[in-house]
Amino acid sequence: MSASRTNWKGIMLFLLPVALLYCAFFLYPLVFVFVTGCTSWNGIRAMSFTGLSNYIKLFGNGTFRLSLRNNFIWAFALAFIQVPLATITAMVLARKPRGWRFLRTVYFLPNVISQVAIAMMWMALYNAEYGILNHFLSAIGLESWTHNWLGEIGTALPAVIAQQVLYIGYFMIIILAGILSIPDSLYEAAEMDGAGVLRQELYVTLPMIRGLLVTSMTLAVAYGLRHFEATYLMTNGGPANSTSVLGLLLYKKMGALDYGQANAIGSVLVLTGGLLIIFIRRIFGRVESASETVQ
Amino acid sequence: MKYPMRTTGRALCFAAGLVLVSLFSGCDRQDAGEDEIVLKWPTIWVGKDSKAPMVEKLVAEFNEEHAGSIKVEIEPNPDYDGYRNKLNTAIASGQVPDIFVFNPDPTTFQYYEGDLLMDFSEDLKGSWGDTFVSGTIDAATKNEMVKSIPYEQAITPIWYNQALFDKAGIGSFPKTFDEFWAACDKLKAAGIVPTSQMTGGTNAWTSMLWYSHIVAGLGGPDVWKKPFSDPVFEKAAAILLHMYQDGNTTKDAVGGDAAVSGGHYLAGDTAIFINGPWYIGRVKSDAPEVYAHTKVTAAPQTPGGSSGAQIGFLLSNLAAAKTDDPTRRAAVISFMKWMTAPENIKRISMDSGSLFCVKFQVGDEAVDPLQKQFMEAAANATFITSHFQGNVTTDVAAEFGQALGKMVLGEAAPKEFVDQIIEATE
Amino acid sequence: MGRNRSPSLIADRAASLAKWLFLLFFLIITLFPLIWLVISSFKTNLEFQTKPFSIPELWQFANYINAVSISGLHLLFLHTIVVSFASTALNILAASMAAFVISREPFRGHETVFNIVVAGILVPVIALMVPYFRLISGLGLYDTLFGLIITYAAVSIPVSVFLIHGFMRSIPRELEEAAVIDGCSLAQRFTRVIFPLSRLGLVTAGTFVFLFSWNEFIYALLLTSSVKARTLQLGIRFFKSQFITDYTSMYAAIVLSIIPTIFVYILFHDKIIKGMTSGAVKG
Repeated sequence: MSASRTNWKGIMLFLLPVALLYCAFFLYPLVFVFVTGCTSWNGIRAMSFTGLSNYIKLFGNGTFRLSLRNNFIWAFALAFIQVPLATITAMVLARKPRGWRFLRTVYFLPNVISQVAIAMMWMALYNAEYGILNHFLSAIGLESWTHNWLGEIGTALPAVIAQQVLYIGYFMIIILAGILSIPDSLYEAAEMDGAGVLRQELYVTLPMIRGLLVTSMTLAVAYGLRHFEATYLMTNGGPANSTSVLGLLLYKKMGALDYGQANAIGSVLVLTGGLLIIFIRRIFGRVESASETVQ
Repeated sequence: MKYPMRTTGRALCFAAGLVLVSLFSGCDRQDAGEDEIVLKWPTIWVGKDSKAPMVEKLVAEFNEEHAGSIKVEIEPNPDYDGYRNKLNTAIASGQVPDIFVFNPDPTTFQYYEGDLLMDFSEDLKGSWGDTFVSGTIDAATKNEMVKSIPYEQAITPIWYNQALFDKAGIGSFPKTFDEFWAACDKLKAAGIVPTSQMTGGTNAWTSMLWYSHIVAGLGGPDVWKKPFSDPVFEKAAAILLHMYQDGNTTKDAVGGDAAVSGGHYLAGDTAIFINGPWYIGRVKSDAPEVYAHTKVTAAPQTPGGSSGAQIGFLLSNLAAAKTDDPTRRAAVISFMKWMTAPENIKRISMDSGSLFCVKFQVGDEAVDPLQKQFMEAAANATFITSHFQGNVTTDVAAEFGQALGKMVLGEAAPKEFVDQIIEATE
Repeated sequence: MGRNRSPSLIADRAASLAKWLFLLFFLIITLFPLIWLVISSFKTNLEFQTKPFSIPELWQFANYINAVSISGLHLLFLHTIVVSFASTALNILAASMAAFVISREPFRGHETVFNIVVAGILVPVIALMVPYFRLISGLGLYDTLFGLIITYAAVSIPVSVFLIHGFMRSIPRELEEAAVIDGCSLAQRFTRVIFPLSRLGLVTAGTFVFLFSWNEFIYALLLTSSVKARTLQLGIRFFKSQFITDYTSMYAAIVLSIIPTIFVYILFHDKIIKGMTSGAVKG
C-alpha cells in the first residue's frame, strides 16, 4: 500500500473538519495569545507593543519560577505515579477478577463528578480542626504526623497532588481498552511457554500497550502543565504561593485585566509543553517504532 | 470478523440529529415590539442572593410601567468569580452589556478608560444626585467621569459573641489592643478560640478585613492614599500576625477559606469574627443561638492610633453601555432612577438586609436587630474608610493571603510581608 | 478466558491478598467522595461546615427541593444533554476522520499535521476567554446551544485525535489490505474497516468529550446569557452567590446532575466495551 499514489484530494477532505475547527479554536486564539503576550494591554486601552518585557518581568519573579517548578512536579507526578498506578490497575482488571466490571465503573466515577465537590471533600479531609485524616492518624498513635495539610508549606503541594493522582480512572480507561484488545492467543502461547502472571504482563502486555502508555504519559505531562482547577479550588496557590501553578497565575493576571502578563504566561506554558512533549516523543518514539515493527 | 456496531451507530445518528435541532434552536431570536427598547441586564443578584427576589420584583414593576416602550431583561449569572470573568472578557472584546453591576476596585475602574461606558456625571448633578449618601458619588468618580452609579455599600464591623464573652468573664468588648489581648487570654482559658481568621480563598477575606481595621486605626481616614512603604502597614501586619499566634485563632486558619472562618464562628468555636451585613441571614438561619448573642462594634484602639473607625466600601455599582441613541439613553437613565429611587431602595434594603448608597427614611418598620446594629455602627463611627481590597487590583488582593500565610508560618517578617505586597503592585 | 491461574502456593495467596488490598484501596478512595457528597447533600450548612464527616442529625430533604426549584434544573438538563451528545458526535466524527488519514494514509507531512494538532492539548483553555468570546460572538453564535456545541467539540479535538490515532495505528495492516484489494475507496476503507475496528478508541475518546461537555462551566457561563442556552453546571452554581454559598443545596443539585452521567456512562461506555471485548475474544 505504501507504493500507491497519494490521494491528496481525499486526504484534504478528511482533514477539512479538523482543520476548520483547529484554525478557529486553536490557531487564531494562539496567535492572539502570542501577540498580546508581547504587549501591555488591559483589554480596554489600545495595546502597546512592549517586546519581551513581559517575559523578562516574569522570569525575574519568584512566584513565577516557583509555579513553573510546581508544574514540572505535577507533570512528573501524573506521568510517573498516576499513569503507572493506572497501568497496574488496568492489568489487574484485565484479568477479570471477581467484580471487575463493577470496579472498572466505580474507579472511573470520580471523573464524572464535578471537581468542585471532590475538592471540597478533600479540603474537609485535610482540615486541621475537624479533618478525618488527622483524626485517623491520632487514633492509630501517629499524633506527631498530624498536620494542617493544606496550610503548611511542606505538605500543601503533596496534599493537592495526592488528591489528583489517586484518581486513576481516566488513564485506566485508556489503558484497559488497549489491554482488552490484545488477542488472548498471545497469553495462551506465553502460558504454554511456562510464563507466570508477572512474566506475561511484562513480556506480553507491556510491549503491546507501549504506544498507549506513551500516549497516556504525554497526556499526563500536558495535564500537569495545564493544571489549574484543583489548585484554584483547594488552595488558590497558598500558603505563601507554595502550591501556585502557571495556570493559576495566568488566571489571577487575567482577573486583574493584565492580559499582557497573562498571555505571556500562556505562551510560556504552551512553549514549555511543546518542548517537553517533543522530548518525550524523541525518547519513547524509537522504542515505539521498534515495537510497531514487531506487530 | 463481525462486530456489533448498532449501538455506536445509533448513538451517533441520535447525536447528529441533536446537532441539527440545536442549529435551528439558535435561530429563534424573536424581535420585540417595533419601538420597544430591550435592555439586557446580566446580573449576579439571582438564585440564593438575598437581593434576588426584590430585584426581580422591581424589574417586573418597571417593565409593567413602561410596557411597550422599555423592557429590561434579567440574564441570571450565577457564580461571582465567573461573572467577573465574563464582564472582563466582554469588555475586553468591546461588547459591554446594556446594564451590568460591578464591584468597584482599581481593576474594574479600568472600565472607565475606554469610551465604552455611559457617563452619568451630568444626570447626577441635579436632584437625583442629592439622594445619594454623601461621598458615594465621589467614590464612583474618576477623572470627573461618573461612569457607574454607586448602589450597594457595605460596612464590616467586628462581630463578637456576647455569650462566649460572658462565659470567659469579659464584661464588654475591649477598647484597646492591650485589653484585647487580655480578653483573648481569658477566652482561651475558658476553652474558646478568640478569633476567626483565614489566609485562603481568593482574598483571605476575614483577615484582610482585620488588617484594614488595624490599618485604619493606625493611619486615619486617608490611610489608603499613603504608599505601602509607610510604617503604618508594617505595624498593622505585626498586630495581625499576633492574631494568628499563641492559639488566638484556629489551627486551620492558614489555608482556610470563608467556609472555615465563618463556620467556626457559626459553630460557636470562635468568639470574634468580621463580615458584612449579607452574613446576617446566614447566622440567623443556621445558628440562631449565635445570632441572638452577636454584637457588632469597632476595632480596639491601636497603640498610638485613633479609635472608633469602621471599614465601609462600595460593594456594587450599576453601569451601562454607552449609546448614541438618545431614547435608548433616556431608557437606561429612567431604569437607573427607578432602581435608585429612595422608596425602592428602602424595599430592597428591608427585604435583603443589605445597605445602599441612597438615603431613605426608616419608620417604625421592624428592622432586623442585627441589621440595626450595623446601621448604628455606621452612624457611630468616627470615620469610615475603605478596605485593603478596594485599593488594589485583584492580583494584589490575592497576594495578600499569600504574603500573610508566609508571615504566619514564620517565613517572613512583617517588613517582608509589606515588601511582598509592594512587589505585587509593581 | 485463558488468563486465570489457580493459586496453589503461599506466594500466590499473598499476591492475591495484595491484589485485593490494592483494588480495595482504590475502591475506597473513589467511592468515598460519592458517598460523602450524597450524605452532605442532606445536611444543614452549619453541619456541613463544622462536622463534614458526620451523619446528618436531621435529613434535610428540603435541599433537594431547593435544588430543583431555585435553579430550574429540568430545562438545563435538556440543554446539557443536547450539548453533550452533539459536541461528542461532532468531535468524534471530525477527529476520527483526521486520525484516519494521519494514521493509515502515510502522506507527506502527516507527522507534522499530527504534531500541530496534538500540540493543542497543551493549550490552557482558560487563557482563551477573550478570543473565544470574540470568535463566538463574531460568528453570531453567542447565547446559542450551537455556540457551546462547536466550542466543546473543537476544544477536545487535540485529545480525541491523539487518542483515536493511537488506537487506529494499532490495527493490523492485513485487515485493511483485503479492503484495498477489493477496490475500496478511501471513504469506504474508513467507514467499513477502520471506523468500526477502532470503536474502542472512539468510545474512549467520546467518553472524555462527553464528560468534558457535561461538566464544563467557565465557557458555558461566558458564551451564553439567557435561559434558552444555559446548561446544568450553571444551575449548580446558582447556590454560590457573591458572599454566601448554600453548599448543601448545591450538593443536592450536583447529586441530581451526576445521576444521568453515571447512567449514560454505564449504558453507553460499558455496554459498548462489553460488546466489543466479547467480539475480540471470539476474533
